[in-house]
Amino acid sequence: MKIMQMAFMIVAVFFFFVLVGLFFIGIKFKDVESSAAQLHRDQAISSLSVIADMPELNYDSSESFTLDEDKLRVMSSNFSGVYDDFWPVASISVHKLWPVASKQIKCPGSPDCNYYELYNNEQNNSKTYSTYVSICRKIKKDGFVYDNCGIGKLVVGVKIRDG
Amino acid sequence: MDNKNKGQQEMVGFVLIVVLVVVGLMVFLVISARSSDEAPSSIQVENMLDAIMDQTTKCAITYEPDYDNFEDLFKSCHQKKTCSNLDFICPNTGDMVSKSACDCLNESLIEVLDGMLNTEATISAYQIEFREKDEPDGILKVFDGNCTGTISEAQRNVVSGSDSLIIRMKVCVE
Repeated sequence: MKIMQMAFMIVAVFFFFVLVGLFFIGIKFKDVESSAAQLHRDQAISSLSVIADMPELNYDSSESFTLDEDKLRVMSSNFSGVYDDFWPVASISVHKLWPVASKQIKCPGSPDCNYYELYNNEQNNSKTYSTYVSICRKIKKDGFVYDNCGIGKLVVGVKIRDG
Repeated sequence: MDNKNKGQQEMVGFVLIVVLVVVGLMVFLVISARSSDEAPSSIQVENMLDAIMDQTTKCAITYEPDYDNFEDLFKSCHQKKTCSNLDFICPNTGDMVSKSACDCLNESLIEVLDGMLNTEATISAYQIEFREKDEPDGILKVFDGNCTGTISEAQRNVVSGSDSLIIRMKVCVE
């Protein structure tokens, strides 16, 4: 009888600890799953710095994610064809977010344009990643030169491998 | 009598174990509740805050066209400076007075962030808090939207004179 009582007790204590353990593991794994997704997103965004920090686009080499609008204008014109084999991605475009525009107008061409398409190899099977950047240019006014920066978005398309 | 004593000892032992586990659980819950107060930082929000900080504003403190960007405007606001190029007629006195950097900062921030909120379908709400380090009362707090998703945040530390300023941005992403 005593042995049976002790056995029941041990089983009860064991189940109690198992339940507590499951509770802990459940909470931990929920965190791990969301952290993994967040890390994956952060890694993709960090890899965009490689594109943004290229001297062909970068405004100030000491600052990351800062694009030169004059370089964007050159790179999105006919000159961009020279770089077709250079870009390691499927597409690159830069969108000006400020001032807010109701429709997308491609640059260069119009003074109110708000979107530069630097490269697009018409890849169907691609996934886009984007991040916020500063789009800066030097402006001369009343004999002074100053940096005029605005908020933009760098959108890069990456080819998805088949299989 | 011996049997009764033994049974009591076992009961006390079991209760002790249960109490220990419950105390452990409570400590764990308190720690998790505390850490969940702070939203996880994200590179996306960090880049957004960096881009906002670089944005040139309409406010020139000394002369035109030496316009402040948002980072400089936060410092100017903290130092209680005025925008020399933005005058308005004071409704009380009728005199022309320069707009304060804090007023300009508040208006410009709302303008820029509302614009971003309208263009970004994934962002449902934002909040920017500006305060001195170790000071609980903020200098400026701007927020808009109705958060229904997950909150991510980023923080920028700025030095203004001998003071350290904290600019914290929280974004609610669907």
